[in-house]
Amino acid sequence: MKYLLIIFLLTPLFVDAQDDLLDEIDTNATEGQYATAAFKGLKIVNFESTKLVAKDELTFIVSHRFGSVKNGIDTFFGLDEAVTRIHFVYGITDAINIGVSRSSFLKIYDVTAKYRLVRQEENGFPFTIVGFNALLINTALEKENLPLLKFKHRLGYTAQILISRKINTDFSIELAPTFFHDNYVQMDEQSNSQFALGFGGRYKLGKRWSVNADYGLHLNRASNSPFKNPLSIGLDLETGGHVFQMHFSNAQAMNTNGFLGQGTGDWLDGDVYFGFNLSRRF
Amino acid sequence: MKKIIYLIALISINSFAQSKYLTKTGTINFEASVPSVEEVKAENNSVTAILNSDNGEFAALVFVKGFRFKNALMEEHFNENYAESDMYPKATFKGKIKDFSMDMLNSELEFKLDGTLTFHGKTKQVNDVVISLNKEDDLISASGNFKVLVSDFDIKIPRIVRDKVSEEVQITYKFDLKKR
Repeated sequence: MKYLLIIFLLTPLFVDAQDDLLDEIDTNATEGQYATAAFKGLKIVNFESTKLVAKDELTFIVSHRFGSVKNGIDTFFGLDEAVTRIHFVYGITDAINIGVSRSSFLKIYDVTAKYRLVRQEENGFPFTIVGFNALLINTALEKENLPLLKFKHRLGYTAQILISRKINTDFSIELAPTFFHDNYVQMDEQSNSQFALGFGGRYKLGKRWSVNADYGLHLNRASNSPFKNPLSIGLDLETGGHVFQMHFSNAQAMNTNGFLGQGTGDWLDGDVYFGFNLSRRF
Repeated sequence: MKKIIYLIALISINSFAQSKYLTKTGTINFEASVPSVEEVKAENNSVTAILNSDNGEFAALVFVKGFRFKNALMEEHFNENYAESDMYPKATFKGKIKDFSMDMLNSELEFKLDGTLTFHGKTKQVNDVVISLNKEDDLISASGNFKVLVSDFDIKIPRIVRDKVSEEVQITYKFDLKKR
């Protein structure tokens, strides 16, 4: 009995002897931590990514798409036919961004809004979901060519849900169901309201650079439409406050309605456009 | 024999009652700024720290993603490119306060702390870190600061930002440890 008592009383001594203070506070609870930076750029290539500009920050993005490389040295691989888009995006909050842009492709002005609904969490919600809307004004349409033209015909709208998942440190994917409407379409057979499904992804090759690709599957393109689904592949290079994206795409337009509805190139014919997006944070 | 049992009983009661002081809301700041460029500075307000007041052993743990920068992009780059917090989510410290004694804690007093700091998967011995301790009722406040080099933790600062980020990092900490 006595010995039992001694053993019983000794037990806490042994228990204490092996404890480590750090183990006592160590935990693997990472719940509620958000996954960071599924994408580096505000765009994957053509599609908007789920990244937003932070509160009170202004990002300036200049994008270029050269003409088709198909014509070779004659247009210096498209340099002579380059189009440019200048885009300012401002973060009202970390989750709400507004922007304005002007593209030389069809002289389009647009205003954009991007807002985050949910964020991907570690051991929690698996996706980041962001909404994106744009209102576009096509100022290239001329009354001489289209006598019945009214202001409303210049307008176009975009509504998009961006769903991304950072699968691991290097690999992220995105799905982008898109609805867009152009009040004026070039072909009568094409319905003004159009639907598309965007797919995108990035794979990091190093800490500061990644390969990116996106593809837009148009769901109700007119059967005789000359336009093609856009496929784009590029590289992202990040240097401090800049993100530099270089890519090839078979769509020259940079607005969502443009690259989904009016991509004319064809990868199989080598009819693709070289381009880059350059962003700078202020 | 009875005396021995009493003695053992006393020791074991004592060790049951071993006193530990704990916080889950400690603060760690670090700064790697270079004068006259944008400050590189972050704060974490959810540090867990524990002190064993019997022997002066001390440990702290922090989730690297919990460091908040003023500039969101800097925070993203810190996590993605420097700390690689997806791969190394935690930073820890484990050590012992030299010549520690509870009896001396009635006024603010400086002690020296030896231990190991683990960050970015690398462990570095740090010695003679100054730690000021002060006890008021059931609360021990501990604070101090020390310096480490980013190269000690296998973190490379790329050439283009070398004149914007200091190689030397100043770490400041403050813990209000409550008796558990």
